Amino acid sequence: MADLESFNALQLDAIREVGNIGTGNAATALSGLLSRMIHMSVPETEIVSIYELAGHYGDPMEIVGAVFVRSMGGFECSLIFIQSEDDADLMVELLLKQQFGTFIPVGEIPEEMKDSALSEVGNIVLSSFLNAINLLIGTQYQISVPGVAHDMLSSILDVVASIYGQLGETALLVNTEISVEGLEDGRKISGHIILIPDPEALDLLLKKLKVM
Amino acid sequence: MAEQTIVLGMADLMVAPAPVKLVTLGLGSCIGLVVFDTYAKVAGMAHIMLPDSRGLKTSEKVGKFADTAVPALIEEMLKKGATHSHIKAKIAGGAQMFSLPGASAEFLTVGAKNVRETKVKLSKMGIALIASDTGGNKGRTIEFSTGNWMLKVKTLGKGVSEI
Repeated sequence: MADLESFNALQLDAIREVGNIGTGNAATALSGLLSRMIHMSVPETEIVSIYELAGHYGDPMEIVGAVFVRSMGGFECSLIFIQSEDDADLMVELLLKQQFGTFIPVGEIPEEMKDSALSEVGNIVLSSFLNAINLLIGTQYQISVPGVAHDMLSSILDVVASIYGQLGETALLVNTEISVEGLEDGRKISGHIILIPDPEALDLLLKKLKVM
Repeated sequence: MAEQTIVLGMADLMVAPAPVKLVTLGLGSCIGLVVFDTYAKVAGMAHIMLPDSRGLKTSEKVGKFADTAVPALIEEMLKKGATHSHIKAKIAGGAQMFSLPGASAEFLTVGAKNVRETKVKLSKMGIALIASDTGGNKGRTIEFSTGNWMLKVKTLGKGVSEI
């Protein structure tokens, strides 16, 4: 694996561009699913200490809803879509309203249906992201079934520590925030997409991007 | 004397004399290992991330891996006045936060490996493990107080239990 600390600005920028293309496609897909405008932040490539991960993305104790997928073959990586529990609830309400035409308050939606809706949103966002980046770098891939969890942010991010911890003390992540706008009540629904490349896959990615 | 509260972050390892409260927030696949000696009135905690330090540079935090954290924690206990045969241990954590049907990813089951390696290491060192709350798919927040030598485990949706 390349030493994360030795990545130069050009390489980090190239990885950020991968995030940009992935998120752009994810936002388009989500916009189609929800028939709403989606706003996306400029992605950032971040080299974060694994000991400080939990605090890096917000309050470590905040309860979040997270959808996780693995991409296997070609450029191997994990992707996670994280939302505050409130935003995840709003997302579920919006999706079900969009699909069935009637509004059902989240309190009346059975847990399994909530998780299924959330996992569907995560799946569409994350698989669109993966489609775009694999098209860009010309690799074949398979995507796993999504896994859903509701828990403390800190517990959820243990998964990043377990991917990068065996190799060192830092992780390379690409982080973007997307938000659904144009809701009737003026609220917005936000979520973070975090791309977690397998450390062993970074060399391949840099070579495909022609920056190594 | 007022009870001091110490919050441990990832891979931290700490031993302190009573009265003390040792806290770790939001353990997922990580392990919170508590050791204590009620005679010497001293307690310690480690926030273990991974089972095995094989082949890694030595500058890393010793609390990070089960195989290095357990001996380091016991050594620190002895330095602070504990007697080996009086030291008891409790552990919590080691959850599997995500399961992906059909996908094999070794890192997803790291929680179970953390539990196993911590238990093996404790038993090799002759430390009695008297209570544990491990596994499952939920994160845990833990607090150990030398007031009653109990480990309070908070799990989302399951409330609080004391072990």
